[in-house]
Amino acid sequence: MAVYRRESRRRPIIALIVITSLALISLDRGGNGVIATVRHTARDAIAPVQGVVSDAFNPVSNVFDGVTKVHGLEDENAKLRSRVSTLEGKLSRERGVGEEYSQITRLLDIPDVEDVTGVVARVIGGPAGNFERTLTLNKGTSKGIVIGMPIVAGDGLVGKVTDASRTRATVTLIDSPGLGVGVRTEKSREQAVTQGRSGEKLLRLSFIGNPRAEIAEGELVFTAGVEGAAYPPDVPVARVVKIDRQRGVLDPDIFVEPLVDLDKLIFVKALRWPPRDTSPAGDSGTSGN
Amino acid sequence: MRWIRYFLLIISLVVLQTALFTSLRVFDTGPDLLLVATIAVAYERGAETGAVFGFVGGLAIDCFLSSPLGVSALTFALVGYGVGVFQSGLIRSSRWMAPVLGGIGGLVGGMIWVLIAALAGQEDLFVVGTLRTLVIAAVYDALVAFLIFPFARWASGDHDFAHR
Repeated sequence: MAVYRRESRRRPIIALIVITSLALISLDRGGNGVIATVRHTARDAIAPVQGVVSDAFNPVSNVFDGVTKVHGLEDENAKLRSRVSTLEGKLSRERGVGEEYSQITRLLDIPDVEDVTGVVARVIGGPAGNFERTLTLNKGTSKGIVIGMPIVAGDGLVGKVTDASRTRATVTLIDSPGLGVGVRTEKSREQAVTQGRSGEKLLRLSFIGNPRAEIAEGELVFTAGVEGAAYPPDVPVARVVKIDRQRGVLDPDIFVEPLVDLDKLIFVKALRWPPRDTSPAGDSGTSGN
Repeated sequence: MRWIRYFLLIISLVVLQTALFTSLRVFDTGPDLLLVATIAVAYERGAETGAVFGFVGGLAIDCFLSSPLGVSALTFALVGYGVGVFQSGLIRSSRWMAPVLGGIGGLVGGMIWVLIAALAGQEDLFVVGTLRTLVIAAVYDALVAFLIFPFARWASGDHDFAHR
């Protein structure tokens, strides 16, 4: 008898939970403001405790990081040394061209990444879930970080701010499946869109302007910066590492590797894009709020 | 009193998941502490409590994810309900019950999460990489189950457990 009563009580509860969950999913997918407010309030409320716990367990995280990533460091060092020497040579060759380019853009008053001011923030955490590629920053709307801001690090593009509460901001990384970046290739200057793949580090180039274009391995990929683009033009994004041209298939599979090591970021810069003021009197420094 | 302990357990695990286990990732994969706690609570208290705990815990962690609010809540509630329904037939004295339930529940829960998230619009999850992530996460869940089950048992209360 008791078992029957328990069974009969279970069904309404699980039905209520299913209906409530589906309603919440629908509301959130529709961009409901109340749900966003609840999320931001929860994040801000727990932020101070997260900071304390993160600091307290920092030695544990460092040891864990050392144990799990030590094998790759030697290889990475060798690769980086080789890349530095290659890039030093390339930089010398292109220095002359770069000066001409900056003179022309100044004359034409074309805004580029140098004109963009921003907010420097510290990366305080990775994704809480296994099926998203995000970072959490230690600053939010109170420091001027808002949804949509492009995020860069020393080597290039990192991602875009996709959520921001008063004290925290969430950055969706460029290798996230949900984030496409409009790019152009370095030499062939073909426009394309990067596409992240779940569980994979390499991005795929999709919607290539001319699929038969001569795109080579090693070629860099920059933000395209077409009119109204979400990112400033000419920010380095990735390097072409693999091209798979299957016989009988028009579009080759082109895979690129992000230039920034997205798993080892400490500081990043959120860019105010498009710039509010590109005049010489405007603030063009790397302000750090 | 029991629900206050459950509330404390949920808050503690949310903080650990978002502040500590974002750094303790293996092959870019972390455990799902709230899912393991849901399995543990359902194992201790049955389907009804497991479903409600899973729903509340899932909602709490959903606030920190990019996926739509409610995906984890629904997943954890279903897992809690399922574990609660089947727990009466399990041998309760085995010391390996925590990692076995944590691992299997973590794998099934992960699959349900992917399915619900895909139905909610994240179709890009149906790739080989997702399966690899699910398996690694399930192994990690099995390991953290050793730590979480005792806390879930404490939160569930031994006295109540004895009279169930």
